[in-house]
Amino acid sequence: MTPVDPSALFGAIVDSEVWPILRIGLQAAFFATVVYLVKLGFDLRSLTELRHLGRSKRSFRVFFIALTILFSGVLLYQATWQLTGLFRPRFLTFMQAYDRRQFNPAHRIRRGRILDRRGEILAFSERHGSRVLRRYPYGPAFAHVVGYSDPKFGASGLEAAANAYLNGAVADSLPAWGELGRRLLIREQSPRGQDLKLTLDTELQRLAVRRLGGKRGAVVVLDARDGAIRVLVSTPAFDPNRITAGLFRPGRPETPLLNRATQGLYPPGSGFKILTAALALEQGFRGTRHCPADGYATSSRYRKIRDHEYYAARRAGRVWKGHGNLGLATALAKSSNVFFARIGVEYGHAAFSRNLERFHFDRRIDLYQSPYGAWTMRTGRAPEIARSDKYGLAQASIGQGKVLMTPAHMALIAAAVANRGLAVNPRLVATDPPVPLARFMSAAAARRLAGMLRKVVTEGTGRTIDIEQPAIAGKTGTAQNPQGAAHSWFVGFAPAGRPTLAVAVMVEHGGYGSATAAPIARDLLVRAHESGLLR
Amino acid sequence: MTAASTRETKTWELRRPERLLLSGCLLLVALGFVMVLGAGLAAGRRLGPLDLLPLLTYAASLVVIHLTLVLSRSRGDQILPVAAAFLSGIGLLAQYRMGAFEGADLWGSVRLIFPGGVLVMLVVCVAGMRGRYRRLAAWPWVWAGLSVALLAGVLITGQRFRGGIYGLGLITPTELLKVTVILFLAGLIDRDAKVLGKWGRPLPVPPFKGLLPLLGFWALLAGLLFVQRDLGMFVILSVALLVMLVAGTARLGYLVYGVLAATGLGYLMLTLFSHGHRRIQAWLAPFDDPTGTGWQVLQGLSGMYSGGLWGEGFGRGNPEYIPIAESDFIYSVIGEELGFLGCAAVVVFYLILFGRGLRVADRIGSGFGMLLCGGLTTVLATQTFLNIGGVTKFVPLTGITLPFISQGGSSLLAAFIGLGLILAVSDGEVAKRRPQQDKPKRRRGRADA
Repeated sequence: MTPVDPSALFGAIVDSEVWPILRIGLQAAFFATVVYLVKLGFDLRSLTELRHLGRSKRSFRVFFIALTILFSGVLLYQATWQLTGLFRPRFLTFMQAYDRRQFNPAHRIRRGRILDRRGEILAFSERHGSRVLRRYPYGPAFAHVVGYSDPKFGASGLEAAANAYLNGAVADSLPAWGELGRRLLIREQSPRGQDLKLTLDTELQRLAVRRLGGKRGAVVVLDARDGAIRVLVSTPAFDPNRITAGLFRPGRPETPLLNRATQGLYPPGSGFKILTAALALEQGFRGTRHCPADGYATSSRYRKIRDHEYYAARRAGRVWKGHGNLGLATALAKSSNVFFARIGVEYGHAAFSRNLERFHFDRRIDLYQSPYGAWTMRTGRAPEIARSDKYGLAQASIGQGKVLMTPAHMALIAAAVANRGLAVNPRLVATDPPVPLARFMSAAAARRLAGMLRKVVTEGTGRTIDIEQPAIAGKTGTAQNPQGAAHSWFVGFAPAGRPTLAVAVMVEHGGYGSATAAPIARDLLVRAHESGLLR
Repeated sequence: MTAASTRETKTWELRRPERLLLSGCLLLVALGFVMVLGAGLAAGRRLGPLDLLPLLTYAASLVVIHLTLVLSRSRGDQILPVAAAFLSGIGLLAQYRMGAFEGADLWGSVRLIFPGGVLVMLVVCVAGMRGRYRRLAAWPWVWAGLSVALLAGVLITGQRFRGGIYGLGLITPTELLKVTVILFLAGLIDRDAKVLGKWGRPLPVPPFKGLLPLLGFWALLAGLLFVQRDLGMFVILSVALLVMLVAGTARLGYLVYGVLAATGLGYLMLTLFSHGHRRIQAWLAPFDDPTGTGWQVLQGLSGMYSGGLWGEGFGRGNPEYIPIAESDFIYSVIGEELGFLGCAAVVVFYLILFGRGLRVADRIGSGFGMLLCGGLTTVLATQTFLNIGGVTKFVPLTGITLPFISQGGSSLLAAFIGLGLILAVSDGEVAKRRPQQDKPKRRRGRADA
């Protein structure tokens, strides 16, 4: 036999296919030796006693017990990182962003997909070499809701709020716990997270993006009965597939990162008259108010509040006769500034701010929440109007001046009117149960208000979008603002007889509500009707 | 001649457990070496004859430990050398795996650290056995003077590095304080035990007059260590002081006052000095600045997470991503490559080591030997706790090494000297207890009954 070079033999073994198995065997043998050592030491304990030193005084016994407890504590704490680090979302995010070990399981987690209500994929993970990348098939269309998950810039939107769930760290069923345990014991090649199913409707969402075109604006559509959000669009948006540092540079006027639908505060214009009308109905409004063509003044020192017909007539070189005496329904249909300014001042400051309180102004509402984060919308900002400032109150009552609202809040109020006065907490995730939020108005007031809003579309300022199917109810809004042309609003619901979907459309500097926002809302509701969402 | 050789045969027989257990350690480290070498080969490294040298040195060191203890007829503890051999073996593997031996020539200093430490331990042990260690108690203030001289010397000649002051060539001679200060304390507390145990009545007031010299020295020590920014060392020594005071005087009140003083001092440190404040910040909220203050501890934890329960296997991880992995963060390298179970094994062996050290102290019962063993073990335990706790984010990082495992000659040397002293004490006494009789075994039997 020829002598074999041991180093060459070892090299050959390492290169062969046996090595991976042998390696695991070696590690097992290593641990087995540790166990054997401890056992051997225990078995030989009587032979290693220090008998020649005399009897033990045991004065350090308590100290040793304390040491054992302390070190066990360290090991337990260590296990919460080493073994169950999955439950620490920020830790996981850190590793996904900054850890360069390619064996780190954090990199191999294929996050769960994000799906729309029909199972359409809005976000999924794809293997790219040793890393897993996140892809968004619809680009900017869902950017604000879904958010982004980027190794360099972290995560936003639902990608951030539902991070633990998407990573598969939220075990809500027995198989899920089993899966977690399996992951702990054997090192799986690519662990999978859990899918997140949303309430959004891809078809409607994309239609809303298309109809907004290049304009800045927002659309919110939600089911009035259970709060399920079908559309949540804010334009312009960003492409979550391509996150760059430039996106985060401040001072960009188009602010693509701002979710205008849930965070953007805008003067609501005539849409606010829904709230003033609700106040009137709750206060038991009866009869009519005189609305002269010349307008309404709280004091001779201030400008008069006039109706838009007055200005239209003046521009045309004619003289307008005025509305005369108006009831609540007609005033809403004709969107009379004079009428609503007058009754706003009539009910006074206290009633006004109580009304806003009832409509949940100055709050944040969670559309999705987990122990690790929430996806929230903000509601309108109630103005501070001094007791003596009647002009400010009159302005606020017609949605001008200091009162500001988000499109999502407007949609929520329309939904409450449609749902007999009860607002249901809006939700984004299909598996979340519907939860009532608050009663915005009495059922009787809501029923009458709903009828009036139908009249706005059949006879009033919303006539342009009066179609046979579906029967739409709602309110247009044209909000003056210091930045430029008026913001265009439409707030409403359909079908009028048996309301299902509530909608709010806002186009920045879009001009008349009836001309820009209302047709977008109509198109969305028609498409929803065709696809069976209004059933 | 024959009488001597029979006594040696007896010791050979007596120390059989040590022999068996040390062989087990050797097997363990050999297995680890095959794993590391295999991983290196698989990653494309070439093996040279020098690559086996660390294993051979380790084996030789174990043989020398055992033979020296047998030939010197030591009755000292048999588990302590085994626990130290296990931990140093793991440390050697980790150091080797981190490339500490790469490029070192046959007599490179890195190769000499472990055998050198073992040698020093044996010399200390043999010199101190048969009760000779008691002579160290003669002049406690010599040890105090030596401690201050060590500190002052480093301050004068040292250089600043990473916020602290180190000796020339980044050696830290202050590590030896862990031995000199304990020797001082053991001597002083043993001598003044009566005075220190006399507390006021009815109010539990400690005897300030008796404590004054000790407190004065401690203030000086604190000042010098503070200038050096070696907070970790101060904590280690102070814990040892408290444990030794309580053990020496049986007054638990020292513990109460000590905890109060520690709270006050800790608060003062944190509010006054940014150095400590940053570390607390990194401890409490590492994710607030993950790429800055939190980076190191989070990288270490990432490595451990990546290791999971079983680990990647020795040599297969990427500990190079952890800053100063080979010294302060060696524990997270073990966590990455041997997994949680590997870490648990290391902790178990540390507990065995401390348990044995404290058992020796308990058996000695009182006096200088008991204080010495208790103090030295406390130093090792506190050091281990601060290091492992810091790496796992259980306590703030203090920047101290892991005994027997971390790279660093001075730290290893101090640990081995301490171990040598405990071994020497555990050999017991010769005087009075063994009169001119040829059968000491009987007496031992009676003492046990």
